[in-house]
Amino acid sequence: MKYFLRAVFLLPLFLCLPSGAAETPREIIARAVVSTDAVTQRTLVSSLMGQGEEVIPELLTAWRSDAIFLYKTDSATIPVVLSGDKDAAGAQVATRVDNGQPLQDAAGQPLRIVGKDYKTADHTSALRRAMKAVLDIVDLVSPNRTKRLQAVQTIGQAQDASKIAVLEARLPLETDPHVQRALREALALIRLKDANEAVKLAALVELKELSTLSSSDFLKKFLTEAEAQKNATLIAATKSALHSVETHRDVVDFLGTIFRGLSLGSILLVLALGLAITFGLMGVINMAHGEMIAVGAYTTYLVQNIFGTGIVIPFFGLSLGIPGMNLSGWAYQFYFVAAIPLSFLMAALVGIGLERSIIQWLYRRPLESLLATWGVSVVLQQIFKLMFGSNNVQVSSPVYLSGNWTVNDIIFGWNRVFVIGFALMIVFGVWLVLTRTSLGLLIRAVMQNRGMASCMGVRTERVNMLTFGLGSGLAGLAGAFLSQIGNVGPSMGQNYIVDCFMTVVVGGVGNLPGTVISAFSIGLTDQALQQILLDPVIGKILVLLAIILFLQWRPAGLFVTRSRSLED
Amino acid sequence: MSAASSRKIEFIAVAVIATFLIVGLPLLNAYGFVDNFWINVWGKYLCFALLAISVDLLWGYTGLLSLGQSMFFALGGYMLGMHLMLMIGEEGVYAKAGKNPELLPDFMVFLGHTFLPAFWRPFYSFGFSALMVVLVPGLLALAFGFLAFRSRIKGVYFSILTQALTYGAALLFFRNSMLMGGNNGFTDFKFILGSDLRTGATQRGLFIATAVTLLIVYLLIRWLSHTKFGLVQRAIRDGENRVLFSGYATAHFKLFIFTLSAAIASVGGALYVPQVGGINPSVMTPEKSLEAVVWVAVGGRGTLLGPILGAIVINALKTWATVRYPDYWLIILGGLFILVVLFLPGGLVSLPKRLAPLWKKFRAPAAPTASTPAV
Repeated sequence: MKYFLRAVFLLPLFLCLPSGAAETPREIIARAVVSTDAVTQRTLVSSLMGQGEEVIPELLTAWRSDAIFLYKTDSATIPVVLSGDKDAAGAQVATRVDNGQPLQDAAGQPLRIVGKDYKTADHTSALRRAMKAVLDIVDLVSPNRTKRLQAVQTIGQAQDASKIAVLEARLPLETDPHVQRALREALALIRLKDANEAVKLAALVELKELSTLSSSDFLKKFLTEAEAQKNATLIAATKSALHSVETHRDVVDFLGTIFRGLSLGSILLVLALGLAITFGLMGVINMAHGEMIAVGAYTTYLVQNIFGTGIVIPFFGLSLGIPGMNLSGWAYQFYFVAAIPLSFLMAALVGIGLERSIIQWLYRRPLESLLATWGVSVVLQQIFKLMFGSNNVQVSSPVYLSGNWTVNDIIFGWNRVFVIGFALMIVFGVWLVLTRTSLGLLIRAVMQNRGMASCMGVRTERVNMLTFGLGSGLAGLAGAFLSQIGNVGPSMGQNYIVDCFMTVVVGGVGNLPGTVISAFSIGLTDQALQQILLDPVIGKILVLLAIILFLQWRPAGLFVTRSRSLED
Repeated sequence: MSAASSRKIEFIAVAVIATFLIVGLPLLNAYGFVDNFWINVWGKYLCFALLAISVDLLWGYTGLLSLGQSMFFALGGYMLGMHLMLMIGEEGVYAKAGKNPELLPDFMVFLGHTFLPAFWRPFYSFGFSALMVVLVPGLLALAFGFLAFRSRIKGVYFSILTQALTYGAALLFFRNSMLMGGNNGFTDFKFILGSDLRTGATQRGLFIATAVTLLIVYLLIRWLSHTKFGLVQRAIRDGENRVLFSGYATAHFKLFIFTLSAAIASVGGALYVPQVGGINPSVMTPEKSLEAVVWVAVGGRGTLLGPILGAIVINALKTWATVRYPDYWLIILGGLFILVVLFLPGGLVSLPKRLAPLWKKFRAPAAPTASTPAV
């Protein structure tokens, strides 16, 4: 890959350099600066045309703004750039233009020079024009792909006809397909301004074929112009191009919505999975489930700080940090890997504590357990506020989660892709635990018939405790994910708790496949309605209404665990 | 204590408290012994007591934990609030500045509306608004209850669904395009039925109205719980399937109770708005419903006095604690709630009964030992 890239970058360089291939841009510029003949200077500068190395704009700009100086020794004239502050003697550090090294004296020591040692390098207006021509397209040939893409797009959107030649020259040389597309788009956009109708038509055909989202505004503008001129052929061609762009936009929006819906669904899924298990097993709706999310998210925040600057524990005056870790270290990027299991553990521990201290006394009174856990939720929220402040805390995404893939204009954020993938892994893991381990066997036994399981010697108390820990831990995991996507604050759990309950109720209590299906359908419906109505709130209300109506049709959810018992 | 004597005690207690609230406090206020501020605060408590009764009617008497009562409460408030907004008239900020020729509510002018939307117009009439206070929440409860009880949604599911409904309604009312004032809701009222809301006399009148309403609702529920209807209601709480199989259409009973309690909550809200001087969607959130449930649980559910006592005690505690310990108030509330649920399921009302054996033991420490030798 590396060699390939290098070849790509070098290719234009070889193709565009008729002379002096052995010379570096620095050397060429140095030679031009020293040269006394204006024509030679221009030729040398123009020979840089089409090269993209970053040193070229740097040095040429310096030259134009009188920041390159000529340092005369007895034998030669050396062009230099000055840097650093002047010392007491008024001397500055000088860097040679031809090789970028510091200027040295005969003994090889860095040489500091003062004003009388050098004079400013001159430039004529013709030379400045030549420099500007080079500078104009320097980004077009930059080795950096993003820079090239941006340069092309800027030129295209300016619709400057004088740039056509440059772009056309660049088109066959460009090897990156994205930049190539952008070049074609830019050319077509510029040609829309052409006087000749045939050229305009050809440009429209090209734009139709490309169907880029960015061309839509230009096409619309062009359409109004064409309509003003009452030119039927142009109107038809523009409309056809616009239609093609809009179809493309619809496809992009549609797939983007599905993607966002899936990622929202995955979060709901991880959240609801925990709730479904605890509710299915114990008939306890845990109103503090949302706060377990916050526990997970705050754990992620703490781990991030431990990996970074360290944290201070106010009560004991302790500070906790890992020696040698800091915000810029490579290890900092891996805080999230450590945060995932820790957030699970932390939330599981809080959950087990909650179960032991409060919920275990209320198994016979499910409605009251709902109330007691609400009390817990209020207390926990206030504790978060006191510990971390009532504002949101900052959790940064590690590098490997903060980029995105753009496939055919659809943006796939890595964090969302990660969430979807991880949610599927968690579902698989939970399924494994429930069906392939002895704990899972016990959980299912207690779920189906608590009394009977107890008679067979299952320690239902202990199973309750572990299950509650598992459910809370899953909420903690969801919190770790949410810290990458949304805000982390004391009442973050409240934003998800209603959705989460809905997911469980729609899916059918204690039913894994039901929960999976309902989480994804709620996530998708929510995002789809947002996209269609362009209004998240109305979308949310409609989803809630849809769920209430759905329960008319299936009061016990998608999948019902059937039993002969009347009271459940 | 015999049943008759306990009824007598209850009658005397209620009569004394009611007389004090309806006659005593306003008189003290009129002669300057009680500050206007406290009349206002107590008026608020009594409105909350109405809300608590509506929760208790459902949860304590019928076994339905509705988390939607705050929505009905707020809806009632909004209905009367619409009337009060229109009564501001020329006293509004924009109207005074001469920028409001149509005399629209200020928030509408702020949002750039130039005429009054059609659904606002009938609210110029106080009678219509008062009717809507009962009708709108009542009809909403009827429709939702019909759907919910028809498909036999009960227990925790009912709670979750009512919570979702309230959440949705709050989201709706937070929007400006709903034309109900958005985030800020209604505020800055000036007149009710021609009298100035900013005077002590009007506030005193509202306080008396609230206390009378509370007494009427109390008597109504007391009467209802002693009829056969009340018996069926409690039977549904204790064993719905048995009632169903005995041939009672439990869904109809529940629907009636749900609608009635929505109307009670709504009346409470309508009385709350002019006394507090505003309403906004944050009153509508599910958390407020849960808070009302806390009042009932602390006071004692399934009793008549419990919710009233709970609403007053908790809110008085809140008034005190939010000033003294603003950071810890929620921890106190949550902790108190957990403790009550765990250790005092009967609430404050059950305290005398629970303390009675202890009191007896304290009075006659030797008595138990005297009776044991028989074993």
